[in-house]
Amino acid sequence: MPGMWWVVGVVVLAAIFSAYLGWTAQRVERLHTRAQSAERALDAHLLRRAAAAAVVAEQAESVELYAAARLALDAEPGERETAENDLTRQLRTVTLDPADPAARTLIGTSRRVMLARQVHTDLVRDAQSARRRVLVRMLGLNRRYPRPEYFDIVESALPDLPPPTVPSPAPVPSPLPVPSPAPIPPAEETRPVQAV
Amino acid sequence: MRIGIVSPYSFDVPGGVQNHIMDLAEALIGLGHTVSVLAPAEDDAELPAYVVPAGRAVPLPYNGSVARISFGPVSTARVRRWLRRGEFDVLHVHEPFTPSLSFLAVLSARGPVVATFHTAMTRSRALSAAQNFLQPAMEKITARIAVSELARKVQVEHLGGGAVEIPNGVAVAKFASAASLPGWPGEGGALGFLGRFTEPRKGFPLLRTAYVALARKRPGLRLLVAGPGDREELYSDIPDDLHDRVEFLGLVSESDKARMLRSVDVYVAPNTGGESFGMILTEAMAAGAAIAASDLDAFRRVLDGGRAGALFPNGDANALAGLLGELLDDPARRAELASCAGLAVRAFDWPSVANRVLEVYATSIEATDGRVFDDEWS
Repeated sequence: MPGMWWVVGVVVLAAIFSAYLGWTAQRVERLHTRAQSAERALDAHLLRRAAAAAVVAEQAESVELYAAARLALDAEPGERETAENDLTRQLRTVTLDPADPAARTLIGTSRRVMLARQVHTDLVRDAQSARRRVLVRMLGLNRRYPRPEYFDIVESALPDLPPPTVPSPAPVPSPLPVPSPAPIPPAEETRPVQAV
Repeated sequence: MRIGIVSPYSFDVPGGVQNHIMDLAEALIGLGHTVSVLAPAEDDAELPAYVVPAGRAVPLPYNGSVARISFGPVSTARVRRWLRRGEFDVLHVHEPFTPSLSFLAVLSARGPVVATFHTAMTRSRALSAAQNFLQPAMEKITARIAVSELARKVQVEHLGGGAVEIPNGVAVAKFASAASLPGWPGEGGALGFLGRFTEPRKGFPLLRTAYVALARKRPGLRLLVAGPGDREELYSDIPDDLHDRVEFLGLVSESDKARMLRSVDVYVAPNTGGESFGMILTEAMAAGAAIAASDLDAFRRVLDGGRAGALFPNGDANALAGLLGELLDDPARRAELASCAGLAVRAFDWPSVANRVLEVYATSIEATDGRVFDDEWS
């Protein structure tokens, strides 16, 4: 009965193909969820940096820095990147005293912004390349999730950033407790932010 | 934080990656975290308490040397069991694109995965060709760390995706506690150089010129050289009567490196360019040597603008000779440089490096909102 083997073959192939479809759908979902989480985390770190910058500005009585920090905190989604870049530029002009706790916080938050941006960029790239796949487009999987967008800001590392010095050898309590999910930005901030 | 680290190479054979993993794990434990390291090893092998053996390793020629790795269905099962039991907040794999436990762990993991790239792989062309095949594995990695500028470049150019550069830490305590070589530094003073003396940008010819000039005036002054290279080639450019005052150690192990750095009055880094970080300087700082270095930007940064080591104009052998003469005549100045260096090097000590790695872990966890679970990836 050669005809039956043919049927079996088709069934097996169909099973393999549907498993592959399921795996692909899961993969696309995972990539989009991650890109969204990364975006929320980046947003939270940008807010923290702006808040830290405002504190430093108040101490130094720097009107320009304070204005830039306020603008970054209040920016509408479309103006966000410009506002953050302005803040970064302002931050580059201030001299920070590494002994000042507010300055240390600012340096730390700036470093975290950079890390978050790096991870966000990578995850957005992964999600976008998955969306471009023929199979994903044919199944309409890309229409199920909003397209993640890059967040285009300049390198925000502060110059001559002193690495965190540990007052050795005293045992330091865990400086990074397992982070609870990053504070979720206000709902009206409908992201993703459009790239300019 | 519960941290799972995967080593691709067996700990039986010493190597840069293995040392890095052990130092990092110990630093993280010192900071109060729970760390488990999965590594290829026999079940009865003698291992630190935090290492979980993943079965026998087989030798595999890789990247110009022989690496001992575990791969295959048995290893896969062990990796999965380890992941399930560990309930890690973050999984940290090293060299994930070698056929190794690291690769298996990436495939089996779900949740925050951090990957560290150590080598600038010579087989990068093959790697680029395999990119489509590797894509699903690469997507699992949330954050990437490169230990050097070169490793970062390979990562960016051949695999796409960025990486955070976090250099190796320095095991300050190991360098600071090493014993000097017998008979060194001696009465007449001793200079030290470590590196490939045949490579022009390491600047050895500058030191040679300066040493020959100084040795004529200082009958006891000796030079200690370590690094890969041919003995004949080193001595052929040195006047015959000075041969017995120049000691060549050849390629040295980590522990001999520490002893060598402890054996000199002044460590000289005459590099003329191309040093992106200056690892050897941080090691010399940890060993408590006074340092004379060329004024490259990278060196200036590491040496705290010249406070933790004396700088001379890049490429100027006369200036180097002058500076070395001053330092040899002034023990107080040398002691001051060494004590400043001892403070400055703390920034490069493993606990500081581990804190930067922890920030990457946190970023990675935030971007996935979850723990590392065993994942059916069929």
